[in-house]
Amino acid sequence: MEAYIIKAYRSAVGKAKKGSFKNFRSDDIAVKVIEHLMAQVPELDPHIVDDVIVGCANPEGEQGFQIGRQISLRALGIPVPGVTVNRYCASGLESISMAVAKIRAGMGHIFIAGGAESMSQIPMTGYKLAPNYDVANQTPNYLTGMGITAEAVAKKYGISREDADTFSVNSHQKAAKAIQEGKFKDEIVPIEVTDVSVRNNKRVETTALVSIDEGVRPDTTLASLAALKPVFDTKGIITAGNASQTSDGAAFVLVASEEMVKLFNWQPIARMVSCSVGGVDPLYMGMGPCAAIPKALKSAGLSLSDIDLVELNEAFAAQALAVIKEGCLNPESVNVNGGAVALGHPLGCTGAKLTTQVINELGRQNKKYGMVTACVGGGQGIAGIYEKL
Amino acid sequence: MTKRIRKAAVLGSGVMGSGIACHLANIGVDVLLLDIIPNNLSDDEKKQPKSRNKIADQALLASIKSKPAPLYDSAFAKRIKTGNFEDDFSKISDCDWVIEVVVERLDIKKEIFAKVDTFRKSGSLITSNTSGIPIHLMSEGRSEDFKKHFCGTHFFNPPRYLRLLEVIPTQDTLPEVIDFFMHYGDHYLGKTTVLCKDTPAFIGNRIGVFAMAKVFQLTSKYNLRIEEVDALTGPVIGRPKTGTFRLGDLVGHDTSGNVIRGLKANCANDEQVSSFEVPPYLDFLLENKFLGNKSGQGFYKKTNEKDEKGKPVILALNLNSLTYEPSIRPDIPSLKAAKQMDDLPRRIRHFFDAQDNGAALIKESLVSLFSYASNRIPEIADSFFRIDDAIRAGFAWELGPFEYWDIIGLEKGVQLIKESGEKVPSWVTEMLSAGFTSFYSKQDGKKLYYDQMLKAYQPIPGQDSLVILDNYRSKSTVHKTSETILHDIGEGVLCLEFTSPHNSIGEGVLMGIQESIQLAEDGGWKGLVIGNQATNFSVGANLMMIGMLAYQQDYDQLNMAVNAFQQTTMRCRYSAIPVVAATQGYVFGGGCEILMHCDASVVSAESYIGLVEAGIGLIPGGGGTKEYALRASDLFFEGDVQIPTLIEKFKAIALASVATSAYEGFKYGSLIKGRDEVVLNKDRAIAYAQQKVLQLARNYTQPILRDDITVLGRTGLAPLYLAANELKLGHFASEHDIKIAQKIAYVLCGGDLSGTQQVSEQYLLDVEREAFLSLCGEQKTQERIQYMLQNNKPLRN
Repeated sequence: MEAYIIKAYRSAVGKAKKGSFKNFRSDDIAVKVIEHLMAQVPELDPHIVDDVIVGCANPEGEQGFQIGRQISLRALGIPVPGVTVNRYCASGLESISMAVAKIRAGMGHIFIAGGAESMSQIPMTGYKLAPNYDVANQTPNYLTGMGITAEAVAKKYGISREDADTFSVNSHQKAAKAIQEGKFKDEIVPIEVTDVSVRNNKRVETTALVSIDEGVRPDTTLASLAALKPVFDTKGIITAGNASQTSDGAAFVLVASEEMVKLFNWQPIARMVSCSVGGVDPLYMGMGPCAAIPKALKSAGLSLSDIDLVELNEAFAAQALAVIKEGCLNPESVNVNGGAVALGHPLGCTGAKLTTQVINELGRQNKKYGMVTACVGGGQGIAGIYEKL
Repeated sequence: MTKRIRKAAVLGSGVMGSGIACHLANIGVDVLLLDIIPNNLSDDEKKQPKSRNKIADQALLASIKSKPAPLYDSAFAKRIKTGNFEDDFSKISDCDWVIEVVVERLDIKKEIFAKVDTFRKSGSLITSNTSGIPIHLMSEGRSEDFKKHFCGTHFFNPPRYLRLLEVIPTQDTLPEVIDFFMHYGDHYLGKTTVLCKDTPAFIGNRIGVFAMAKVFQLTSKYNLRIEEVDALTGPVIGRPKTGTFRLGDLVGHDTSGNVIRGLKANCANDEQVSSFEVPPYLDFLLENKFLGNKSGQGFYKKTNEKDEKGKPVILALNLNSLTYEPSIRPDIPSLKAAKQMDDLPRRIRHFFDAQDNGAALIKESLVSLFSYASNRIPEIADSFFRIDDAIRAGFAWELGPFEYWDIIGLEKGVQLIKESGEKVPSWVTEMLSAGFTSFYSKQDGKKLYYDQMLKAYQPIPGQDSLVILDNYRSKSTVHKTSETILHDIGEGVLCLEFTSPHNSIGEGVLMGIQESIQLAEDGGWKGLVIGNQATNFSVGANLMMIGMLAYQQDYDQLNMAVNAFQQTTMRCRYSAIPVVAATQGYVFGGGCEILMHCDASVVSAESYIGLVEAGIGLIPGGGGTKEYALRASDLFFEGDVQIPTLIEKFKAIALASVATSAYEGFKYGSLIKGRDEVVLNKDRAIAYAQQKVLQLARNYTQPILRDDITVLGRTGLAPLYLAANELKLGHFASEHDIKIAQKIAYVLCGGDLSGTQQVSEQYLLDVEREAFLSLCGEQKTQERIQYMLQNNKPLRN
C-alpha cells in the first residue's frame, strides 16, 4: 500500500549555544512541532497514530531516556509509542523512510516521523568519548572528526579555499533572500520560548516567539570569510565560515497510508518515491551522497535529469562542492534557498527539515521531483526522492 | 600604615596606563581605567557609553592582546572596568589609589589632578607615572590632604615584566605614604622598589639613558657596526640580548630621543652632559620616522626575503653611509675570547685587558659610567646601591655600575677615570684613601654597602626578610656536590642550590637532592627548600648525558640514570622532612618534575612551567608522566566519565605546553591550588619557601606510597590514539610527534589494560621508564636531542 506525506512542519533553526533554543530542550521543540502538526488535522485522533519515529544523532543527556518515547508520550499521549533512530545526520530522513517502508509493508497506517536535535546541550561526540581500542589502533580513520574528513575530500577533489568561501557566501545570500521573501514562513512553527536567567544579579524572565532561522548572515562577504583561519588542519581550507553551523531544531511529517488518506479525505502533499543509503570510506564521508544517489535514482526508476530540486545538506561547503563536481548532482537544482552553511544543521533533525523545505519549494515552483541528500559521519550517504502531489 | 588597595583608578589608557591596569589586575586589585572621550563622535554616538568609552576600551583590548601578555591569566581582565573622564570621574571616590598616566604635559596633568582633588576620598593615595616631569610641580595648588598622599610611582614598560618601580616623594609626602609604597611595591606589585629623589628622569632613566647615549657616541668613535656593538653590549657583559641598538628599536626612537634631549636640557650642569648629544644617525632615523619595531624599521630592518635556513633576512643600518646593509656576524677577537668564558666577572676583566676596538668601547663606556654614576651621589640617591638596584631591575642588567666597578677594583676604576679625564667624586676618593677596596661587602649572610656619610659598611636595608643565597657564599656550606650547594638559611631550614650550567639536572644535582634530604633527616633539620636565585630555576635534565647514552644505545646505563631520576623526585615527596620548591623563570622538564614531587612550592609569578620533553622527542621520565596520571586520577569522581580529564592531562604533556605565568601553571596542572603558592616578588620566593617548610614541619609525617591510582587502560588509550591521529591528519604533528604522543598516552593510561584499574606509583614509574627508554632508541629522537644541544631550539622532524 502506498504511503503519503500529509503535512510537514519544522521549527526555526536556532544557533547552538547562543541562539534562542540554547536552553530549550529538543524534546520540547519536538512536542511543539508535533502539536502544531496535529492541530492542522483535527479530524485525526492522536491515539490512532501507530508510532512516532524520531531521528536523533546524540541520544544521550537531555536527549536520553529514549527521546522518541518521551516525545510521543507528551505530544500524543500514553497509547502512542515512540522510537529513536540514529543514522547521525541522516536520522531525520531515515525516520521518514522507515515510516514509509512500514506502511508499504502493511505494518501500520499513520506515523509521525522526523527528527530533533539540540547541539547546544549535547557535545558533538557525546559525553564519553570511548572508541574501540582495536579500531583506534588499527583503523583510526574510521573515527576521524568531521572537519578532517572535509579536508580530505577538499584535497582529493581539488576544492580550493576560494571555491568553498564563494559557495558559502552564496548560501548566505540565497538563504537571506528566501527568508526575506517569506518562503519558510508557513512551514515554521513559531515557538514561544520563556527564558529565565540572571542578569546583573537579578532573576529575569523573558519570553520570545522564535520563528526565523537564526544562522543567516546576509552581510557575509568573501573578504570576511577569507580572514578566518583553518580550524582542523594547519594547511587546510575548512573554516568556521565555510562549514555548516551547529544548531538546534526539530521537524516532523505526518505519513499516512492510502487507506487513511481516503478515510480522512486528505490531500497528500508528496510521496517518498525511494530512499537509499550507501557506504564510503569514513575518511571521505563527505562523498556519501555519491554512493546513495544512484541507488535512489535506480530504485525510483529515474535519472538525475528528472530531479528538479535538491536539498543537499551542506555539512561543509567543500564537501558539497566535491559532490557536485563529481557529477553526482546537477548544480542548478541544488539548494536554491541556501543550505546548512547559512541555515544551520541540527544533525538528527536535518533530514526531516530538508524534506519539509524541498516539498514546499516543489510546490512553489510547481515542479515534480525533489531530492534530499546528505553525507553521514562514519562514511555513509543518504538520498531520498520525493514526488510532489 | 595599614592601608589596603582594594580598588585603584588608572587615569590614561595608553601603553603604560593599560599595562599598569593589567598588572594591578594581576595582583587582585579592582581597576577603573579611564581616558578621554573620542573627539570625533557623531551626535548619536555621543549618547552611547560604548562609543564614549572607546579609547579606554580599545587601548585595553590592544594591551591584552599584545605579546608578551600583560596579564598572568586572561581571566584577570575581568577585574578592569573602563570609562571616560567625563562620565566616570566621580567613581574614583571609592578608589584607594589613583594613578595618573596621561600625556606628559604639566598643564594637562595639573588639570587632571585638580579634578582628582574634587572627587577623591580623603586619605586615598594619588601618584603620577611621569618619567620626566618634576613631581612637586604637579601637586601645586592642590589640597593639603592631596599633597600629603601624593608622590611619583614610576613603572617601566612593560609593567608586568620590568622589575623596577621608582617611588618619588615630594617634601609634602607623608613618611607613612612613602613607607607604604616601598612595601607595597615590593610585596604586592612584586617590584624592586627604589626610593628616588625628584631629579630629572629619576634614577633608572638618568643612568640607563646615559649609558645608552655613551655607547652611541663610542660606536662612532671606534667605527664599529651596530651588530658588533649589540653583540658586545649584550649577554657577554651581563646585559639583555637586545644589546644597545636593538633595545633602541624596541623602545622606539621617538621616546629615547625625547629622553636624551630632556636630559640634555635639564642636566646642563652634568660634567658629562656632552654625552647627551643626539648623534646624526639618530636624527636620520627620527627625520625618516624609522622609529624602530613599531614602525617596521629603525637601526635594523626586517625584510621579506629568506636566507638559506628560511629565516628572514635582517638588514642593519650602516652608521656612516646611513644605508641598510645585510647584517654581519661580528668578528672581534676580544668578543670571541669572552664567549669562551663562563664567568661574567672574568669576561669583564678580560675586556679591560684586551686591546681591540670592541674592548675599548666596553672599557670606555664603563669607565665613563663609573664617573657619571658616582657623581650622581647624593644628587639622585643618598646611596649608590639604589642606582645598582634601579639599573638591574629597570634595564635587566646583571650588574649595576658599582658592581662592575667592584669587579675591576675600586682603585683601578679611579685610576681609569682619571686617565680618561673624567671626574672622580670626593666621596670615592675619600673611601679609597681610607683603605676601602670595594663598594660592597658581605657579612653573616648579609650584603653590606659603603655608607659615604658614616664612612663604613652598612647592611643594605630590607634584607631581614629575604634569603639571598649570594650572601651565604662566604659562609661555610653544609654540603656540596659537583652541581649543588647546600646552605643553612636559618631557623633549621636548609636550601639546596643548583650550580650546574642553566641549573640543568644531571648526576650532581640528583646526588645533591638525595644527600641533602638524607642529611636533613639525619641531622635534625626541619626541612629543605630546593631553590636558587638564577634567572631560571632549571632548564630541565642534562640533555648531553641522555643524548650520549642514547646515541651509544647504552640502555643499561640509561635505565639506571632514568631510575635514579625517578627515585630522586620520589624522594622529594617520600622523606621524613618537608621539601618545598621555590622557583622563578624556566621550570622545564626535570625542573617541573622536581617541583611537582615536592610537598609544596612557592612559585614566583614569573615562572614558566612545563613538561617540554616531547619537543626533544622524549616523554617526562623523571616521574612527570606518572604524576600527571596520578593527578588525573585524583580529579576523577563518582559518576565522572573521566575521559575529558585524561585528555586535558595528555594535551599538556603531548603539546609540551608551557605556562606563561604561575597562574597558568594551575590551569595546566603542574601546580595545585592549596598546595602551591604564588609569590609576586621572585626575590622573596626562598624566604617564603623557608616559612612554608616551617609551617609544614609542625606536624609533618612522611606520606604513604600511593597504590590507588585509577588508570583507564584501553578505554583511555583509544580516544587518546584517535586524538593523536587527528593531530597528524591536521598537520599539527609529525609522525614522530604521534609516536611520542602515543607513548605519553600509554603511560597515562597505565598501559593497555583491559579496563579501569588501580595501580601503584612504582608500576607507573616502570611503564614511564620503559617508554622513555624506547624513545631513546629512536633515530628521530636522537636527532632532536642533538639539534637542541647544538642550536638550543627544538627540531620538528
